[in-house]
Amino acid sequence: MKPTRALVFLALAVLAGLQALVPPADAQKRGGTYRAVLGADPPTLDPAQATDTTSSAVLRQIFDGLVELDEKMQPVASIAEKWHVSPDQRVYTFTLRRGVRFQNGREVKAGDFKYTLERAARGKKPWVVEKLAGAGEVIKGQVREIRGIRVVDDQTLELTLERPFAPFLMLMAYDAAFVVPREEAERLGPEFGSKPVGTGAFRFVSWRHDDQVVLEAFKDHFRGAPHLDRIVYRIINDDNTRFQEYRAGNLEHVDVPSGQFRAAQKDPVLSRELFVYPMLGTYSLRFTLTQPPFKDNKKLRQAVNHAIDKEAIANVILEGSVVPARGVLPPGMPGHNPELVGYPHDRQKARRLLAEAGYPDGKGLPPITLHYNTSALHKRIGELVQAQLRELGIAVQLASLDWAAYIKLVDDGGTQWHRLGWLADYPDPENFLTVLFHTRNVGPPGNSSRFSSPEVDRLFDEADRMPAGPARLAKYREAEKLIVEEAPWVFVYWYTSRLLQKPSVKGLERSAMSSAPEMHMAPMRKVWLDR
Amino acid sequence: MLALVARRLVVLLPVLFGISLLVFVLTAVSLGDPVRAAMGQRGEPAVIAQIRRDYGLDEPLWAQYTRWMGRLLHADLGRSYHQQRPVSEIVAERFPATFRLALAATAIALVLGLAAGTLAAVRHGGATDLLLMTGALLGISTPVFWLGLMLILVFAVWLGWFPVSGYGDGSWRHLVLPSLALGALHTGVIARMARASLLEVIRQDYVRAARAKGLSETVVFLKHALRNALLPVITVAGIGLADLLVGAPLTETVFAWPGLGRMLITAVGQRDLPVVMGAVLLFALVYVVGNLLVDLAYGLADPRLRT
Repeated sequence: MKPTRALVFLALAVLAGLQALVPPADAQKRGGTYRAVLGADPPTLDPAQATDTTSSAVLRQIFDGLVELDEKMQPVASIAEKWHVSPDQRVYTFTLRRGVRFQNGREVKAGDFKYTLERAARGKKPWVVEKLAGAGEVIKGQVREIRGIRVVDDQTLELTLERPFAPFLMLMAYDAAFVVPREEAERLGPEFGSKPVGTGAFRFVSWRHDDQVVLEAFKDHFRGAPHLDRIVYRIINDDNTRFQEYRAGNLEHVDVPSGQFRAAQKDPVLSRELFVYPMLGTYSLRFTLTQPPFKDNKKLRQAVNHAIDKEAIANVILEGSVVPARGVLPPGMPGHNPELVGYPHDRQKARRLLAEAGYPDGKGLPPITLHYNTSALHKRIGELVQAQLRELGIAVQLASLDWAAYIKLVDDGGTQWHRLGWLADYPDPENFLTVLFHTRNVGPPGNSSRFSSPEVDRLFDEADRMPAGPARLAKYREAEKLIVEEAPWVFVYWYTSRLLQKPSVKGLERSAMSSAPEMHMAPMRKVWLDR
Repeated sequence: MLALVARRLVVLLPVLFGISLLVFVLTAVSLGDPVRAAMGQRGEPAVIAQIRRDYGLDEPLWAQYTRWMGRLLHADLGRSYHQQRPVSEIVAERFPATFRLALAATAIALVLGLAAGTLAAVRHGGATDLLLMTGALLGISTPVFWLGLMLILVFAVWLGWFPVSGYGDGSWRHLVLPSLALGALHTGVIARMARASLLEVIRQDYVRAARAKGLSETVVFLKHALRNALLPVITVAGIGLADLLVGAPLTETVFAWPGLGRMLITAVGQRDLPVVMGAVLLFALVYVVGNLLVDLAYGLADPRLRT
C-alpha cells in the first residue's frame, strides 16, 4: 500500500467539498423538482424504527433534531439554537429556537423531545439514547420515563448522561433523536412510518412502494422555505437501470454501477460529472475467534492477512476506486493512524507464519469456510481470496446466504470466517472501535469476530469517558494498534463513494458519511438547480 | 359448466389450506429471524426479544399458525412485520401493476406468437419457417435480465422513444418495454406450440375432407385447422398468464416495476411471514382460477368439451 494513496483520496475529498461550497444566496435559484434515487424501498420513515441509510435519506429531509452534522461532520445548531455543557461533561442544557413548527402547524416544545427520546428508547436503535441516565431501564421495558431527561420549560431541555461521552452531540444528530409530534405518532400508531410528520424542510406527500416517494417544500420551515419545490425519490433496485436513467437525463445524481467505473472515467461527459470521495467505512473478512482453526492462533490469522493481496482486490475487482486498508479506522475518521502498516501482501512472510502456526504449506489445515451474504461483489472478492490462499496450500470453501440467514449465523458465532463491512453511524472512533471490538459487544451488538482483550477493553472504557481531544484519540490509536497486531480481521479496503452528478445540481454535500445513490446525510434544503 | 366451476371452487379450499401450512412451516423453520434481519448489522438483544414478543414470535409455531388462520377466517391477512401495514393493503397496492404487465405481456405473446407460429406452419420447411423458429428459440433462451437492459439501451437511452423504467403515471408508454421483455419468452413458446399444433392438425382427415369439399384454403385454415390447433395454445397461454400474474421478479427489477414479484422476493429476504403468506395465498388462488378459465376456454374453442 502506498501511503500517498490515502492522501490523494483526502485531497479528492477536499476538492469535492470545495465543489459543494454554496454561492451567495442571491445566485441560488428557487424552484424545480429534484429527481433523486434510492437503491431499495425504504422499510419505514419513522425515525425511531429506521435502521438503514435508505430510510434515513428520506426521513432526514422530513425531520430535524436538536443539532445536525455539517459537511465537515461537526455538530451545529438545528432546533436547539445553543447549548451548554456542565464542567463534568454530564449535563447538556439545550435552548430551543422559538417558532419552530411541525408540519401540522403546532409549535415544537421541549416536551416533544422528551417524548421523542423516550420513544426512541423503545425503538430499533435505542443505543442513540442509551447514554442518558436511566435510559437502560426504559430500553429493558422496566420503566416508562428516562430519568436523565428534564423539561425545564417549553424552550429548555436538560439531558443528563450516566457518564461523560464525548460524541454525545453526534448522537443527538442521529435519525432516532429527530423530534416527532406526539399527537401524530399516537394517532397513526405503526402507520406513522408510512405517513410521517416532522419539522423538516420537506413534507411527505406520497409513497408508491417500490416505485417512488414524493416530498414537497415545507414553506414554514424554521430556516425558511428550501430552494426546491419537490423531491421525487425513484426507487430502482438495479444499479444498471439507475445508471441508464441518469444517462437518459432522468436523475440528478446516481452511483456508478460495478464494472462501469473505468468506462465512466474515460467517457468525455461522465468523467466531468464523476466524483470519488472517501467514506467512513471498512470492508473486512472477520475471523470468528471462538472457532477453530483461528481460535488461539494469531500466527495463522496473520499468515492469511499477509497472503491476501488487497491491492489486487482494490484494483481488479473495484477498478481502483477504493483504498486498500491497513487498519480499522478509515482516513478521515478522527484517530485514523496513517502510520499503521497493517498486513502488506507478502507471500514469503505468509508462508513462514503459516509454518509457525503449525501448518507448513497448509498441511494439516482442514478446509476453511468463508461465509458472505449473497452479492456479486462479495462473491468475486471471495473467489480472489480463495485463489490467493490456494497458492499457499490453504483450502477455502465459499458459502453464501441471504441476509436474514447470514446475520443469524454470524450472531450465533456459527462461522469460521465471515464478511462484514462497517459504515460509521457518527464520526467518532468509539463508533468503530468500541462497538466492533469491546467484549461487552460480542455478538449482535457489533463484535462479530468475538474479539476479547482486557487491555483493549480498558483503553476503550477510559477513552469513551474522556473529553474530546488528542489524549482521547491517542487511547483509541493505542487500542487499534493492539487490535491490528492480533489480526482478528483481514482489513480489506476502506470504502469510497462513486457519484455521478449533473452539472446543474448545486449545494449537494458529499460528506464522508453520504454514499451514492442515497446521499443520506446530505441536507436537501441546501440543494438548488441551476437550470 | 357450472358443475365444473363448483367442483373447482370446492377443491380450492383444501389446496389453500395445504399451501398455507406448507409455506408457514418452511418460512418459520428456515434460518433467519425477521426482527434481527430488520435491525441491520447492529442489533440489541433486549430490543430484539421485546419486538419478537410484540409480534408474537416467541409463541410456539402451532399457536402462531392458529392465530394467523383465525384472522384469515375474518378476512384479515395480518400486518407486515417490516412495513407495519396491513398485508391486504400491501398486496392490493401491487396487484394492478402486476395485472397490467401480465395482461400486456400475454397479449403481445398471443398476437406475435400466434402470427409467427401460423406463418411458420404455412411456410413449413422454408426460409421463413427457419427464421421465425430461430427467433422463437432466441425469445425462449434469452435471459430476461439481459433483454431488458438491451431494450432500455436501444429504445429508451439511444432512441428516447420510451421511458427507461418505472410505473410513471400509469401510461401505456411505461408498459411497452417491460411487457416486450416479459412477453418474449412466452411469444417463443406460443409460436412453437402453434406451429407444431397446426402442422399436426392440417394432416388430419377432417382437414383433407374440408379441402375435398372445395372450401377455399383460407376457410379451411381459419375455420377448421386453426380453431382446432388452438387448444394447446390456450393451455400454454392460460398457464403463462397465471405465471405472469404472480409477478415477474427479474423483469420488475430491471424496469423498477412495482409489482408482486419484487414484493415477494423482498418479503422472503426479510422473513416477513405475513406478507409471504398473503402473497402465496393470492398466487394459489390465481393459479386455480387461471386453470379454471383455461378449462372454460376449451369449451369455447371446442364445443365437444362443453358438457
